[in-house]
Amino acid sequence: MTDETTARTSAASRRPPARAIKGLSDRAVGWIFVAPTIFLLLAINIFPLIWTIRLSLTNYRANRTTAEVSWVGLRNYERILTDPDIWNAMQATAHFVIWTLVLQVLIGFTLAYLINKKFKGNDLWTTIIVLPMMLSPAVVGNFWTFLYQPQIGLFNYFVGFLTGADPSSFSMIGDVALAPWAIVIVDTWMWTPFVMLICLAGLRSIPDSIYEAAECDRASKWRQFWTITIPMALPFLMLAVLFRGIENFKMFDLVVQLTGGGPGSVTELTSINLKREAFEKWRTGYASAYAVILFVTVFGLASIYVKALNKVKER
Amino acid sequence: MAEVRLSGLSKMFGTTAALDNIDLTVPDGSFVVLLGPTGAGKTTILRMVSGLDTPDNGDVYIGGKPMAGLTPAQRDVTMVFQQYSLYPHMNVRQNLEFPLKSPLLRTPQAEIDRKVNEVAEILQISHKLDNKATALSGGEMQRVSIGRALVRNPSVYLMDEPLSSLDAKLRSDLRIELKNIQANSGATLIYVTHDQVEAMTMATHVGVLDHGRLVQFGTPRQIYEDPVSIYAASRLGQPRINVVPADLFGGAPTAARSIGLRPEHILQGEGEDSTVNRVEHLGDQTRLHLDYKGHDLITVTDPHTELQRGDRLPIRPNNPLYFDASGARLA
Repeated sequence: MTDETTARTSAASRRPPARAIKGLSDRAVGWIFVAPTIFLLLAINIFPLIWTIRLSLTNYRANRTTAEVSWVGLRNYERILTDPDIWNAMQATAHFVIWTLVLQVLIGFTLAYLINKKFKGNDLWTTIIVLPMMLSPAVVGNFWTFLYQPQIGLFNYFVGFLTGADPSSFSMIGDVALAPWAIVIVDTWMWTPFVMLICLAGLRSIPDSIYEAAECDRASKWRQFWTITIPMALPFLMLAVLFRGIENFKMFDLVVQLTGGGPGSVTELTSINLKREAFEKWRTGYASAYAVILFVTVFGLASIYVKALNKVKER
Repeated sequence: MAEVRLSGLSKMFGTTAALDNIDLTVPDGSFVVLLGPTGAGKTTILRMVSGLDTPDNGDVYIGGKPMAGLTPAQRDVTMVFQQYSLYPHMNVRQNLEFPLKSPLLRTPQAEIDRKVNEVAEILQISHKLDNKATALSGGEMQRVSIGRALVRNPSVYLMDEPLSSLDAKLRSDLRIELKNIQANSGATLIYVTHDQVEAMTMATHVGVLDHGRLVQFGTPRQIYEDPVSIYAASRLGQPRINVVPADLFGGAPTAARSIGLRPEHILQGEGEDSTVNRVEHLGDQTRLHLDYKGHDLITVTDPHTELQRGDRLPIRPNNPLYFDASGARLA
């Protein structure tokens, strides 16, 4: 019996070290593999979020680290929600988001529908249409300032050519009434291709045989469009709206480059407004509260939307 | 209810001829089965008649009127596709209603409901009417797809292997049902299959296709008893026709290269000996696999036969079919 025990212990000690790792449970090994990701998520997503919420309840200013920080409760939130400037920024953002979505969906879907028709060179057209999307927003913003130039700008020239108006009689960027539309046009120019691509994927997912069946069932092209094309492409369309909606809610670079939020503050979207509060006025606590409000708004809207999207997909 | 006439119909896909100068008249109210292996051009004919594809040459006439340039809707045809082609975002009821809900028809809802329920009853899918089209089994999907054709009263029904994905029992039920519907409504039906049982049981006429050419067109009996070639003869009949060299038995015409022997062409109990290789008891009949001078022959015999493997059985041909070197029938 003693011999047996010694035999067993020596066998155990002779085990190679790799066996020890094998001894870990599957669950433990799994945790080891996901740990780096979880750590990164905590460090760059979750922790800043919690820290922002904490700061939003204080009067902390990041440029005066020595100043005493006091707890202000919900006062920042109260001030933000009653600040007319912020409501203006919210309105400007809503205008921008809604109109860009409407235009991009309409034009993007139409383009996708046309590109999806089999014609010669449609791949080439797809590539050409998609080009704007591949540019840097800063570059796009910058060169559109030239296109919008009243004296030499091509945009003004074309509008003048089409309507007969004097091209230098209006300034897309300088006019309070036109500037909100100027940013809508540029964003639509740049991002419609993205909506088109997603819609195209949706349209291509509808097999030809379904249309052939509808054809035999005596459905007109019009009826085919409304009872087959739209319902079957709808999940894709909604996905494109979700992506573009979230993106445009936090629009910054393109607009800063194009109008800088002006004239006055008519194109000062919430993200630009927020950046001013945080890094120009250095009201860190106040800006944190602002950021939390924006986050909750986008997150809330997106959640409702995703629920609707899933419902559509389930049909 | 209309006669369908194909005149000189040709269609090329790349360099292969899918249809090669097809002339065919489908009489009004007939049930025509197009038989042939994959690639023979059966489906292409349906697509030409429906208007989903246009022929390179030739014309399609329905009810005596030329169909060139007309859409499937204008031709008043309905088609059952082999791959179901249900509308995936609709439920079964909506799929069945779809052809009736055409704004042109203005069918009252009560009429639509009556028709849908009636068809669902026939196809045994009444309990699935509110299911999603994608939540059905293959056989159920195919029945919905058949149902979508049956809710209408078109002049021509076109069906592309509609029963191929169903189980044996349902297939034989629906064979009878389809035949009844066609016989009662008097509609013209063109039906594609490679199942010869479907051809024999349902067809008033059979068209045998080979590489885009119409080899023979006639009643199932004609094609069975009076085939124009070995190819046409092999399309119908179970067990398949036996084809052996002409000189195996004496008395063949000089031009004959091969003899075609259906079971009824093999007289048992007379002539020279063959060896029984295998005996298959199928219940209503018994199949004999015979070896005759090194050639395999399959024939049928009495269900209660006492024959066993290794037994000797004298046989001789009785009014067999003779074919020349190209496989064409000798009169």
